[in-house]
Amino acid sequence: MSLDLVAYGAFFLTMALTYAVMCLGLNIQWGQTGLFNVGIAAFVAIGAYVSAILTTPDTPDRLGGFDLPIAVGWLGGACAAGVAAWFVGALTIRLRSDYLAIATFGVAVTVQLCVLNLQPLTGGPFGIGFIPRPFNSLAGDPLAFGLANLALMAALVLVLYLALQHLAKSPWGRVLRAIREDEVAAQALGKRPIRFRLQAFTIGGAIMGLAGAAQGHFIGFIAPDNYLPILTFQVWAMLIVGGSGNNRGAILGAIIVWGIWALSAAAVSAFVPPEQQARAAALQIVMIGVGLCLILLLRPRGLVGERRSMLSLGRGRKS
Amino acid sequence: MNPQFIMDGLIAGALIGLGAIGVTLTYSILRFANFAHGEFLSWGAYLALAISGSIGFLSANLTKPIAPFSFGWSLPIAALLAVLLTGVLALALDAVLFGRLRSRGGAVIILVMASFGASLALRSLLEFLFTSKPAYYTKALQIAVRLGGGLRATPDQLLVLGVTLVVVIAIHLLLTRSEIGRSMRAVSENPALAGIAGIDVRRIIRFVWFIGAALACIAGIMTGLLVQIRPYLGHDLLLPLFAAAILGGIGSVPGAMIAGLIVGLSEAAAVQLVGAEWRAAVSFVILVLVLLLRPRGLFGRPA
Amino acid sequence: MTAAVRPTPALATQALVAGYEPDLPIVRGVDLSVAAGELLVLLGPNGAGKSTLVKAIAGVVPIHGGTVSIGGRDITRLPAHRKISEGLAFVPQTENIFGTLSIHENLQIAAAVLPREKRAARIAAMYDRFPDLAVKPARLAGSLSGGQRQMLAIARALMVDPQVLILDEPSAGLSPRIVAEVFAMLTDINASGVTVVLVEQNVKAALAIASRAVILVEGKIRHEGSGESLQNDPILARLYLGTGQTMKADRS
Repeated sequence: MSLDLVAYGAFFLTMALTYAVMCLGLNIQWGQTGLFNVGIAAFVAIGAYVSAILTTPDTPDRLGGFDLPIAVGWLGGACAAGVAAWFVGALTIRLRSDYLAIATFGVAVTVQLCVLNLQPLTGGPFGIGFIPRPFNSLAGDPLAFGLANLALMAALVLVLYLALQHLAKSPWGRVLRAIREDEVAAQALGKRPIRFRLQAFTIGGAIMGLAGAAQGHFIGFIAPDNYLPILTFQVWAMLIVGGSGNNRGAILGAIIVWGIWALSAAAVSAFVPPEQQARAAALQIVMIGVGLCLILLLRPRGLVGERRSMLSLGRGRKS
Repeated sequence: MNPQFIMDGLIAGALIGLGAIGVTLTYSILRFANFAHGEFLSWGAYLALAISGSIGFLSANLTKPIAPFSFGWSLPIAALLAVLLTGVLALALDAVLFGRLRSRGGAVIILVMASFGASLALRSLLEFLFTSKPAYYTKALQIAVRLGGGLRATPDQLLVLGVTLVVVIAIHLLLTRSEIGRSMRAVSENPALAGIAGIDVRRIIRFVWFIGAALACIAGIMTGLLVQIRPYLGHDLLLPLFAAAILGGIGSVPGAMIAGLIVGLSEAAAVQLVGAEWRAAVSFVILVLVLLLRPRGLFGRPA
Repeated sequence: MTAAVRPTPALATQALVAGYEPDLPIVRGVDLSVAAGELLVLLGPNGAGKSTLVKAIAGVVPIHGGTVSIGGRDITRLPAHRKISEGLAFVPQTENIFGTLSIHENLQIAAAVLPREKRAARIAAMYDRFPDLAVKPARLAGSLSGGQRQMLAIARALMVDPQVLILDEPSAGLSPRIVAEVFAMLTDINASGVTVVLVEQNVKAALAIASRAVILVEGKIRHEGSGESLQNDPILARLYLGTGQTMKADRS
């Protein structure tokens, strides 16, 4: 019994850590750079699908299935999402700040449409199954399997965290901060804000793709329904709860919000009669939406807190 | 290619244009992309549904279709009330959320984010109240009439085109000829100077919220009448609305309407050429092309 | 000639603190009193806070402490558009007209503060006073020349018949000939009974028409005197050459 609980705990934490990776990606874009991405779900989906196509065994009714190693899939997923992010960024970052938001929203709609309709590549509404899972040889022992996956995901989060902390302290990170504080001054020093913003947006997108790939391999199955706007929203809630601009907060926020989400979903399925569950789930989303607005209004620094207020973010930018 | 797609595109485009006028007005005055605008369409549609349902409950006479249309007097009456209520909803949202964030003087993007949160809450609240099952104003069926040139349209569809035309002309006149329209254009160009020149900027902002939401409500009701009413009605139109507002040039009412028709016609053409499942991608393609080639849109001011 | 002390100044500030950020005030405690009928010039080096001071008075920059009054009535907390009806008109330095509106619409906007029946006459009066604007009222204001823009901006401000007219560097970017025209017009306006407060970098020209000048340094008033007396005062040269340290001895 208690072993089951540990196995479940490992599963829960592993899932939470996949969200933590998305959150770290968003933190580079929003927390460090002030770029608003409404299409997180799209970049996560791109990572997940590209990795799945690269690593699944050859499938007759679907293009691809290249049977490559999982690591190649992760890398491919991250690169593909990074390229997509670069494209959207290159298109909009030089324009008004909210055009990027609108464009990423469009990407989310379009990617959702693509995974649904490009059936020969993505399996359409049925998604892709039999994605190789790390440590599959341990699958017979749920506890060992769960702990091994948790260790892998924790290692990924740790490596990313250290890399991002390092990046933030590097000259590159300092320029990014300088641009955020005072775009004109940074420009006067010969730094081209658009280039740095674009780099940050691309790296963030690639990290989201990596998160999608890792999550897909952990669950072993992906479908378009996993990448609806609600995913984007959850990741935002996580970053805001954690306090934007703070990598540790991003990880903590992911675990807290995923915990609340999983608990309330469990409560809904346990206490609400089946015919009312869709409604209760809707109410759950209402509460997250209201919660996000309340945090923006009342605790703009996030629950965990950060040195600087989000409200001063991007104040130096025009529009 | 079947010429009927032109009629389908015009009708879809009229609805998109109407919604996009609201987006472009609020965008030019409030200076942020309001992701909750789509929810005003959905809320308008559902408010009209609830009110017309209640009216029908009180008097079955009022639900008897007014020939040649598919609905009874209960719907136009409900529409009027729904327009008012949707306007009130927008004002309430501004009072509790956007107005407070604005007065704090934060970055634009915080407002965008808040609108994103508000849209999710509003949409899911509809799903909670009405479930995601599609609803209809009327069960009556309509027969399309031939218009010549191989085009057909139902009386409801023709009514929608007529109402759109009237509303667009009215808004255009309001903006170009009236005192409040002049003030709106002034605030849109320079809110600080508008205040110095004696314009009550907050009053104009409230007025624009109301007008934008009212137009969204009308578009939502007409979409509900011609297609169906769903909680995602507005959300699914949001990208076409943004695409049309940006293509038309932020702040331009004729631009938003013309761009709405362009988006609607392109969608209809895409349905013919590549298939209905790709319809939603058309707006994205248009959006990308505008941002790439002419970010200020067809009739927009240079940034 | 020193400013006479009168019971109710046309415009007064007391311990005014203002700036874009609450924790970074640019105006740091200014006591200013402008008597009715004066033409006051605000001078000072770049960054002294002259522009912020007049913007705060007009309600464009947030006030964090102190008071502003017009004719003895406290207008500190009024929003910008209400200050107009209290008799205060402000002409900003840049973007002081609506470029996307026609000349006529610019005037109509300003006239909207007046009772409906007085608007047409008042607009006609402005066209009389600024004949350049009357040539083609439907022209977009954005296409006007620098001098014409300044005329339109001043006409807009005068529309409400203000008691106090504040202008932020009206000579900026104009040719000397146009500057002379603008300053002559300001003298006229002042002579017709309107109290004028002028922020200027063009020290010589401004002092020539000023009845009194106030020098602002680092957000505080450091020196004041009549226009003529300051014209030859060495303090001005030192000020505009810019070293704050040498100022201490001259503190008034």
